[in-house]
Amino acid sequence: MTVIAGAVPIVSLPAFPFEPQYVWSIIDVSLYVSGLAIVFSTAVSLPVALLLGFTEFRGKQFLQAIINTGMGFPSVVVGLLVLFAVSNQGPLGGLDLVFTREAMIMSQFVLATPAITAISLAAVSGVEENVRDAAHVLGGTRVDVALVTIKEARYGIATAILAGFGRAISEVGSVLIVGGNIASADGVSKTRTLTTAIQLEARQGRYETAMVLGGILLVIVLLINAVVVRLGEGGVMQ
Amino acid sequence: MMELDGVTHTYDTAPVVEDLSLSVESGEVVAIIGPSGVGKTTLLRILALFIEPQTGTIRFGDTDVWGCSDGERLALRRRIGMVFQEASLFDATVGRNVEYGLKVRRSWRDRLSDGLSEVLRSNGTPETVEEALGVVGLGEQLDQHAKSLSGGEAQRVSFARALAYDPDVLLLDEPTSDLDPRNTAVIEEAVAEARNRGIGVVIATHDMHQAERVADRVAVLLDREITEVGPTDTVFESPADERTAKFIDGELVY
Ligand SMILES: Nc1ncnc2c1ncn2[C@@H]1O[C@H](COP(=O)(O)OP(=O)(O)OP(=O)(O)O)[C@@H](O)[C@H]1O
Ligand SMILES: [Mg+2]
Repeated sequence: MTVIAGAVPIVSLPAFPFEPQYVWSIIDVSLYVSGLAIVFSTAVSLPVALLLGFTEFRGKQFLQAIINTGMGFPSVVVGLLVLFAVSNQGPLGGLDLVFTREAMIMSQFVLATPAITAISLAAVSGVEENVRDAAHVLGGTRVDVALVTIKEARYGIATAILAGFGRAISEVGSVLIVGGNIASADGVSKTRTLTTAIQLEARQGRYETAMVLGGILLVIVLLINAVVVRLGEGGVMQ
Repeated sequence: MMELDGVTHTYDTAPVVEDLSLSVESGEVVAIIGPSGVGKTTLLRILALFIEPQTGTIRFGDTDVWGCSDGERLALRRRIGMVFQEASLFDATVGRNVEYGLKVRRSWRDRLSDGLSEVLRSNGTPETVEEALGVVGLGEQLDQHAKSLSGGEAQRVSFARALAYDPDVLLLDEPTSDLDPRNTAVIEEAVAEARNRGIGVVIATHDMHQAERVADRVAVLLDREITEVGPTDTVFESPADERTAKFIDGELVY
């Protein structure tokens, strides 16, 4: 009891006069990194899902295998690979990306793309052949048929994107490795995200800040889940 | 206007249709009758330029449709309308469904600017869309969602969707096989209207009475071949081919 009672004053110490700014900058970095990663992931995932779903090509099984394996890839390993890629010895060494948001975007892109592709593939595969044929026979080009397919599968695709975003924003391993969890001396996050900040604050005993950050992350993830569930209901209702 | 010559198509091993020849002229209704599984849908998909048959030629006007460039073929494809056997409406309103053919024919630039202005304020419906829906008696249902239509209404919307861009050839794959008499009558009237507009209509049906009602000519598809083709009266009253005669008398059971 005494230990906990003794800890309380430490927790409530007004040690961080810049805390709101600190928290806002962390949210900002998290949303920026995960948001952009998901934009790039989606831009790659949708065409790949359409190709896998509706065309035959050499290496299709290989690509499928990569996606299936990629979904279960540990984030620390992805972080390690990306860190190596952007390090001095790596192929992207010249770009000077170690401990940058760009490197974090890259690693979250690698993490999210397989999941978004796989869920989108399931969604576009569910679009009835007849509907795609209708788009074609009504005068549509390949692009038109692809657009119709995406439109028909919109709920499933939105679910895929949100699930990918959820995975990205709550992931800690890769962003910690490639981003370095850096904040400047005046308390503004450079590469510190909600997840990496939480583990740092908790480790340093600043539970209050950690709790606030944890709560924010939880709200974001719960909001995403709520939207996914609503979309699922919308999909079932048709 | 459109003509098949010596067309053979094989999906897997055995040919489904063999050495078919058939033509349709503008303002003419040709019915394809034949038992289930004989290849009516296959024949229509070949006419719709969906499937390239292994042998034989298909001409649209004077153009060999599989001997020309992709661009030319797209232009030809866009003069053909088709209504499928099963429902195939988009997950959108009736109006959007019927508008689709017009939309894909516009340039990407126009489509983009249309899309943008649609976000700001809702665009009006093109006159041809309302007009095509009027032909099938659904002019009022423009804003209804396609998924909430009855089967008969959905099939009528599919018809309007193919009619809206004023095709030269209209292919109908058993358009009334699941419909009640009233919806069937509406579709048959719409077929007559298409014919009046100078459209060449090919309608697959297993209903011989329907063929008698709507068709100028009838082609009988049996055993992978067209066993008989000619004016409706002639085919039904005095078929030259023995198998055709048996099929029409209902003796040939499939
Ligand atoms: N995509 C396909 N792949 C392989 N075989 C097919 C394919 N489509 C049709 N077939 C086969 O070709 C034959 C003709 O089919 P088709 O659908 O053209 O017949 P149909 O006359 O339209 O029949 P129904 O009156 O029942 O609609 C059938 O034996 C069918 O199993
Ligand atoms: Mg059929």
